[in-house]
Amino acid sequence: MKEENQDTTHFGYKTVESNQKESLVADVFHSVAAKYDIMNDFMSFGIHRLWKRQTIACSGVRKGHRVLDLAGGTGDLTAKFSQLVGDTGQVILGDINDSMLKVGRDKLRDLGLVNNIEYVQMNAQALPFPDNSIDVITIAFGLRNVTDKDEAIRSMYRVLKPGGRLLILEFSKTDNEALSKLYDFYSFNILPTMGKLVANDSESYRYLAESIRMHPDQETLKGMMETAGFEQASYQNFTGGIVALHRGFKY
Amino acid sequence: MWISVLTAVAEQVVNRLITLEPVLKQDLRDAEHRVLAITLTDLKISCAFHYNGEHCFVYGNYQDSADCHITTSLDTVSELKDPSQLTRLIRANKLDLEGDIHLAQAYSKAFSNLKIDWAEHLSRYLGDAGAQQLVNSLGQSKAHAQKHCETFEQIFTQLCQDELNVTVHPLELEQFKSQTRALSQQLTALEQRFNALTD
Repeated sequence: MKEENQDTTHFGYKTVESNQKESLVADVFHSVAAKYDIMNDFMSFGIHRLWKRQTIACSGVRKGHRVLDLAGGTGDLTAKFSQLVGDTGQVILGDINDSMLKVGRDKLRDLGLVNNIEYVQMNAQALPFPDNSIDVITIAFGLRNVTDKDEAIRSMYRVLKPGGRLLILEFSKTDNEALSKLYDFYSFNILPTMGKLVANDSESYRYLAESIRMHPDQETLKGMMETAGFEQASYQNFTGGIVALHRGFKY
Repeated sequence: MWISVLTAVAEQVVNRLITLEPVLKQDLRDAEHRVLAITLTDLKISCAFHYNGEHCFVYGNYQDSADCHITTSLDTVSELKDPSQLTRLIRANKLDLEGDIHLAQAYSKAFSNLKIDWAEHLSRYLGDAGAQQLVNSLGQSKAHAQKHCETFEQIFTQLCQDELNVTVHPLELEQFKSQTRALSQQLTALEQRFNALTD
């Protein structure tokens, strides 16, 4: 999705230079990394665990697979994938932000998951892997922070093996008007206050609410996947469309 | 989303059992890194079990290929506990199985062999004597409850049977009514005939 013109992009509701967005997003995640998990539970009332469960159920990950958990943050999906792929498989936890990677690595090591996980700091727009080398790619609540989403999806398509699949779990748009109003009130009034109280950072959580509103809706994202070459692209809404899981295959 | 909640609870329960009963781990060895999917046609839900040798993952709304896929109804699920019944259920068209039957049998056998030593597990929290006492009491309560249920069932059956002896079946009543009606018509006809003859 081309945002504004080629030199500018969205950062929440603000329009910023494209080359600035990465560092601005990085600042947000450096700030929230330490309290990321606890805030996720607080903000979603724990429902994010169910969204992630369904993502894993749709991933088709099996023993021996090579899985890339992009924008993997604190490694919720990586932890499960690591157990599913076994000793012969591999999970790569990729994130552009080193603070998030460090938190994720510490957490996974504390869980005793060390054998088959690699930690790579990477930019989703230029994945550092050969063509046709990954079985499954997931990106959960990360795509909206990417500067050029189209380029990132093309990059994911390139590294996926034929038969591989991409799963995008991301905030989306709800059709229900009442839920939408309630959600807006929650996002712009309660969420920043919670961010202030728990993580001592209201601005990052205001950005979170704004970036969700600027993210493409279900159909647009599906179209972006199809444009990049993905086949059988489809999506399923969770919690009334507040979150959607997109899935596409490379053949 | 409710299916995710259910599968999350089921996953917790199964993994707790795996932790508590090492025999389950041994019995599920043949199921390692293989997926067993179950579709319940009456509830229109599908779920899958993926055991990795340590943990069992339970998925909801499973749409991918599985090593063994069972399609059946909810009331048949309880019969799956007995591995020897699988073939009979398939023949009786109560169950459709695609893939490796041994995987289904491995799960079936593992859970039917499961005999949880609750006293052993509870002894960590209540002490040996307390745990044993609790388990015995619960066992006795269960036996009492079962006995009461059986007695109630017997009384109820007896009552129904007694009632059957004194109650007229609706069909019998209908037949009696039609016969009475016919008799009444015959009587009226006879009366008219008498009247005609006497006049």
